[in-house]
Amino acid sequence: MRERPRPTRVAAMALRKPSSLAVALAAVVCGIGFGTGTAALVSRLQPWRVGEFDPLGEGVRVAETSARVSVDVTTHAFGTIALGNEGEHAFVIRNVGQAPLVLSKGASSCSCTVMDFDSRQGGNDEAEKSIAPGGSEKVRLKWRGKADGPFRQQATVLTNDPGRPEVVFVVEGAVVPSWRAVPSTLVISRATSGSGERATADLFTFGDTAPEVVSTALLNSATERFFKVGVEPLPAETIAAEKGATGGVRLVVDVLPETEIGLVKQTARVVLRTAEELAVEVPIEVSVSGALSLAGAGWDPDRQALALGTVSGKTGGRWALFMAAKGPHRQAVRPVVREVVPASLAVTIGEAVPIGNGNVMRIPITIELPAGSAPAVNNCTKQAPGGRIVLETGHPESPTMSIKVCVAITP
Amino acid sequence: MKRSIALLLVLTALALVVASGPGRRPAAAQVPATPDGAGGIPDRGPGVAAEVAVDFARRNGRVFDGWSKPGAVLVLTGELDGYIEPCGCTGKENQKGGLSRRHNFLRALAAAGWPAVAIDLGGQVKRFGRQTVIKFQSIAEGLKAMDYRGVGLGPADLRLPTEGLVAAVAAVGTAPTPFVSANVGLYGLDAKITPRTTVVEVGGLRIGITAVLGDRQATAVRNETIEIATATEGLKAAAAELAAAGCDHQVLLAWTVAEEAAKYAALFPQFDLVVAAGGADEPPLEAPALPAAAGRAPARMVELGHKGMYAVAVGLFPGAPVALRTQRVPLDARWGESEEMIRLLGDYQAQLERLGLDGLGMAPVRHPSGRRFAGSAACADCHQEAFDVWKESGHAKGLTTLEIQSPRRDGDPECLSCHVVGWVPQKFEPYEGGFAGMAVTPQLAHQGCENCHGPAADHAAVERGDLEVADEERTRLRASLALSLATPEGKERAVNNCLECHDIDNSPKFDFDTYWPQVEH
Repeated sequence: MRERPRPTRVAAMALRKPSSLAVALAAVVCGIGFGTGTAALVSRLQPWRVGEFDPLGEGVRVAETSARVSVDVTTHAFGTIALGNEGEHAFVIRNVGQAPLVLSKGASSCSCTVMDFDSRQGGNDEAEKSIAPGGSEKVRLKWRGKADGPFRQQATVLTNDPGRPEVVFVVEGAVVPSWRAVPSTLVISRATSGSGERATADLFTFGDTAPEVVSTALLNSATERFFKVGVEPLPAETIAAEKGATGGVRLVVDVLPETEIGLVKQTARVVLRTAEELAVEVPIEVSVSGALSLAGAGWDPDRQALALGTVSGKTGGRWALFMAAKGPHRQAVRPVVREVVPASLAVTIGEAVPIGNGNVMRIPITIELPAGSAPAVNNCTKQAPGGRIVLETGHPESPTMSIKVCVAITP
Repeated sequence: MKRSIALLLVLTALALVVASGPGRRPAAAQVPATPDGAGGIPDRGPGVAAEVAVDFARRNGRVFDGWSKPGAVLVLTGELDGYIEPCGCTGKENQKGGLSRRHNFLRALAAAGWPAVAIDLGGQVKRFGRQTVIKFQSIAEGLKAMDYRGVGLGPADLRLPTEGLVAAVAAVGTAPTPFVSANVGLYGLDAKITPRTTVVEVGGLRIGITAVLGDRQATAVRNETIEIATATEGLKAAAAELAAAGCDHQVLLAWTVAEEAAKYAALFPQFDLVVAAGGADEPPLEAPALPAAAGRAPARMVELGHKGMYAVAVGLFPGAPVALRTQRVPLDARWGESEEMIRLLGDYQAQLERLGLDGLGMAPVRHPSGRRFAGSAACADCHQEAFDVWKESGHAKGLTTLEIQSPRRDGDPECLSCHVVGWVPQKFEPYEGGFAGMAVTPQLAHQGCENCHGPAADHAAVERGDLEVADEERTRLRASLALSLATPEGKERAVNNCLECHDIDNSPKFDFDTYWPQVEH
């Protein structure tokens, strides 16, 4: 820790000169000003280090007789730790002041990180510790790797050093599991009914022994018939790119064309033999939709309705929807407007354009309520049933699409 | 002499001006923010007592020590991971995070007169399914209500069905969407549902913002209605847009790990703040500086931690020697609760309730044993003593604790899974024959016997004489439900079972040997 600048004590010297009280007063003001200003400037040039805390700030004099903390290192980078294992590190606090330095335990950021004062091997759980001037004390942090991935936790030691009442110690690194699936859950957001879909997850292992596949299985018997799973070798460069990984296999999941529309869940289990036997489970979630779908602000997929809310007929409004067409007949989809209720809504169909690799066609649908439209209530209640936009789609299997419209047009 | 005095006074004034600049000031000079007035240091939420702020500063660290009023503050958040509120199972005051506290933190900045803009990396949700879509939509609504001006999209956000995603993200009327992406296009990059960049003005500064999804993270998105360009390709176009926009600062929200984000920062050195994902649960105390490009100040790398437990405030001090400072802000009880966000949470819970478990698409899965549940009362016929212990325990009030919450949580599968019988705790889904609502399966309410011992319908039926089986099968059924602490393996099995619900989020102080005596039977 760097020395803090002390305030300049010129005022007392100035008062010894009897020649001019005005000069003395000016010097007092000037001294305070320069003192504060210099301190502020110096503080900008000497940014605090991580883990330090100084509520008194620079320029505030600390009594020479007080306890003073000195810590060289406040962060320990431990590298890696195996999942579930414990790590331990001792930080050293020295008392470079004139009075006994009293330490007590402050907060830890997680119950998985604990702190002990440790003047003897193995630590102790004394809540408070006193260090004589010139002495030192070890602060021992223990932590457990509870979750796969980067790790950072901190623990605070409270002190009676008025210049540094808190010292924050940080331990950081990475927790390494015995295996990791990337992605951890296989989600296929938009499979199309009638079309197959393939997805993969890379299963990495972290031990010294290369993995050997013992078995693969699907755990949910209710949806088993919709999936096929297999395992392929994982390219060496893929393994090398995963930090700490030493081996792995690729899980290949085929979603079969006969999968029903809706959300389908499954879990694939791959048993791998390394130094131990690892049962790797990868949840699979597939959302299967029909060949045509809609999206846009106001589109409520739950109610399958376009909720436009209450709109002023005087000012009108404009809404943009998109139709997505998938599957083998997507190029044939050319919607034509057949009916609109309330009639004041103007519906325009834009040109179909392919998205990305062309497996999906996007068709813009613009709905406009011209300014000065007549009032109408179609807000999807018993009293005022919803309106509709009926489209002829051009899709041979879904030739008509009726879009429910919930809107109240006020005068 | 007069000239000397005048010179001294001028010098004094100059020194005082320097001293009052944006450098560090003694904490003793800090004035706490007042709930109803401008000025001071925003150290607690509106209406929160000073002693609460002091208590949580002691627990989780003080904020804005030595700060003076910045020219502008960028409030960076992200990786909410679905934690729309901190779980309150063991006392919400012990947990950090939630939209409500976040909103109040922003309000505290406003009350202190600090010009602030809120920006989010993305990653609002982590799971999949109908509930997650509803949650994403609620969070998006909350971000809009909090006036977020730049929001990225994380891979889990993008795994949601596009219809639900677009409904939450697309601009409504003339209000622009806060969502932004340089390389992700919902319904195609040219559909422009989200802009590539956005520029906001705060405290007289122009802040350019863009977001990018890392190339590796993009492989987790399997949705053909979403077009994703490579990160570099997307950033080229976004960087050009921002370069032409005359920004004072540029922010890159990079949904990728810090190492990869640093590579983007090196390729596009115009960004002076780079926000990365996938770090540790807690962000570092200070945002580290990246290697500086020639002729430029080094960019800062910001990590946000997980579960929305922290915000990172970036203070901009134009013209000051230290022009940028960062502060990790724990979103704990010192910020209090925002009524507006609590209402939003209530609406979210009401929506879950309205849809019900069927409407949420909660398809039951088979229990690994293939057996069904009987309910705790069925156990009492033979195991009265054990039942009496359970009846007096907190486990027997599991569902009640959800019913009495405000808003009530008994329609929320993420809560139900540990408060009723027959659910998969960590997957938030029911087993076949598990709790399906008080109207259908009242016997399976609360955290009952079978969640530890296993489904007991067959065993109970055999013991009652409703089902006739061979003696071997009767013995096998009994043995399958036995749970013994007498062996290390048995105890490990029991402890692991407890940890399914008593996990780090919901029961951070759980210790089997301490807790077991409360339910010993």
